[in-house]
Amino acid sequence: MASREVVQYETPLTRAFRWFSVAFIIVYLMWTLLPILVMFVSSFKDLLEAFKIPAVGDWAGIGVFFEFTPTLKHYQDLFLNLNFSSYILNSLVAAGGSAVISVVLGSMAAYSLSRINFKGKNDLFFWIISTRMAPVVAVMVPLYSIFRSLELVGTLPGLILAYTTFNLPFAIWILKGFFDNVPYAIEEAQMVDGATRPQALLAILPLVAPGIGAFIVLCILFAWNDFLFAAIIGSGGAKTLPVATRELVQPQNIQWGSIMAAGVVTTVPMMLLGLVIRRYLVTGLTMGAVKE
Amino acid sequence: MTDTALSDQYVPGQSQGLFRVREIADNVEARPVPSTVTMPAKLNPAASRAYFFWLMVPAIVLLACISLYPFFWMIYMSLHDVEIGSTVWNNFENFTKLATDSRYLKGWWLLIQYSVMCLVLQIGIGVFLAVALNGARFEKILVTTLLMPMMMAPIVAGLVWHFLYNGTFGWYHWLLQSVGILGPKSILASTSTALIGIVIVDVWQWTPLITLITLAGLKRVPQDQLEANMVDGASQLRNFFAITLPNLYPVLLIAVMLRFMDNFRFIDSVLALTGGGPGNATKILPVYLFEVSFKFFKLGRGAAIALTLLIVTIVLGMILVRIFDRQQPRKA
Repeated sequence: MASREVVQYETPLTRAFRWFSVAFIIVYLMWTLLPILVMFVSSFKDLLEAFKIPAVGDWAGIGVFFEFTPTLKHYQDLFLNLNFSSYILNSLVAAGGSAVISVVLGSMAAYSLSRINFKGKNDLFFWIISTRMAPVVAVMVPLYSIFRSLELVGTLPGLILAYTTFNLPFAIWILKGFFDNVPYAIEEAQMVDGATRPQALLAILPLVAPGIGAFIVLCILFAWNDFLFAAIIGSGGAKTLPVATRELVQPQNIQWGSIMAAGVVTTVPMMLLGLVIRRYLVTGLTMGAVKE
Repeated sequence: MTDTALSDQYVPGQSQGLFRVREIADNVEARPVPSTVTMPAKLNPAASRAYFFWLMVPAIVLLACISLYPFFWMIYMSLHDVEIGSTVWNNFENFTKLATDSRYLKGWWLLIQYSVMCLVLQIGIGVFLAVALNGARFEKILVTTLLMPMMMAPIVAGLVWHFLYNGTFGWYHWLLQSVGILGPKSILASTSTALIGIVIVDVWQWTPLITLITLAGLKRVPQDQLEANMVDGASQLRNFFAITLPNLYPVLLIAVMLRFMDNFRFIDSVLALTGGGPGNATKILPVYLFEVSFKFFKLGRGAAIALTLLIVTIVLGMILVRIFDRQQPRKA
């Protein structure tokens, strides 16, 4: 790496490019944030106000968007009439349960995969990763038929198992990369001092703990945001937030106010968690292929 | 080999601990300290092999139960007529029917169209955005802001966009109409534009991922090469195409593959936006599969479709893992 900054001379062309990129960033930010803003604001609006938009081509009328008296009635509706608190609980149990199972079992497997070599290791690895990459709907067809015969459809344990199908391979794959970065010499040093293997593992655990924590959060995020598994496997007894939100869309009557409020309830915790594990996000979302 | 011999010789009781210590210490001295762990088949006497094996077993067994077994079950299902309570062999009919099923074939075609459109837009916008953001003031805050859409549940994103697209009170519809791109009909309501409508939502949600990946790649472009090229009198534009872009190429390849497979994997937002309609204009293959399996409950037929979809995804996955492997030495 060169230590000095590259000296760049400003030509009209580069200046134009700079201004263009600033403008592009601003436009892009607006388009990224607008739907989120609309969701937030609409959740506090009365329906009549939420439906108010200016006439076509009336650019000055944009101000209409901010003309409203905030109301919490959609949120009250969600929690008092629509039973959303129990759906939140379902979401938490399903996502949390599968995340903990996946990361605990996954880190054990990842640790040993990282420490030993054996014949067929690559094949095993490919199998693990292909499980993760399979299309959700395709996985669901046999899973549904099996779960139905085991009477797991519509129960939280069933949903937890279903989420584990994509969280466990993810955890193994990504945590192996994590353990690979911990020098084996540390464990060797421990063992020279008389530690047993499990004790040596405990000694390196603090090194990987932050990463493991972050990937628990990522697993929660994947499961929390899932709709398909929850809609089919969890239908009935284990309704989660995304499914409950979707059910507010009825053919004759789409309850937009409640939908937006439910959207906020579903989204905000995940956005906050996303900020907490910001450092591991790219690694996690690219399956460890890209590190920041 | 010698390790096992050693521990075999000195059986229970007498000072075995002492010998174990020596044996490990010798090995430590003999090896240069590695920065990353590769080895150590030789370092593992039979005892610790068993230890590692048992650590691995619970995860592997669980995964086999919930993924390998269903996979074979799916093959079995795809060869049968599966009704509730009865399963009848039907002589590959599920598969032969697919060849003449126009909605199935169209599903593939739409899926390809959808994925390619998403990718081209995401890569184009994402890379440009990364280049513009790289080294900009407030880079950290801006990037964090960009993350927001990715944290949203796709189904919620789909519903919010459904609201924005609405023909009577949707803000994006109003915008498109005011600019003159669109008539009074919502973008999702007409067969010719609905696919573009769902592409836009995917682009909205996942372009930031491409930007993040590209930014990570940009940080690793060797500065000395850029400098050398500039000393030789290259313009910045030329610098970008001659040095930055080739250096980004491997990272971008990963991004493309990941997004491609995610487009195969997730249909949440499509279900929220159009559910495959109007007509069959947005019935990409996974949506069609969803409909066959869980609306009409033709699970046998669904399994056949799922199998073809799965095979294509696995082939794509193999290519991706190849790319990962080729990346390894570069990363270290």
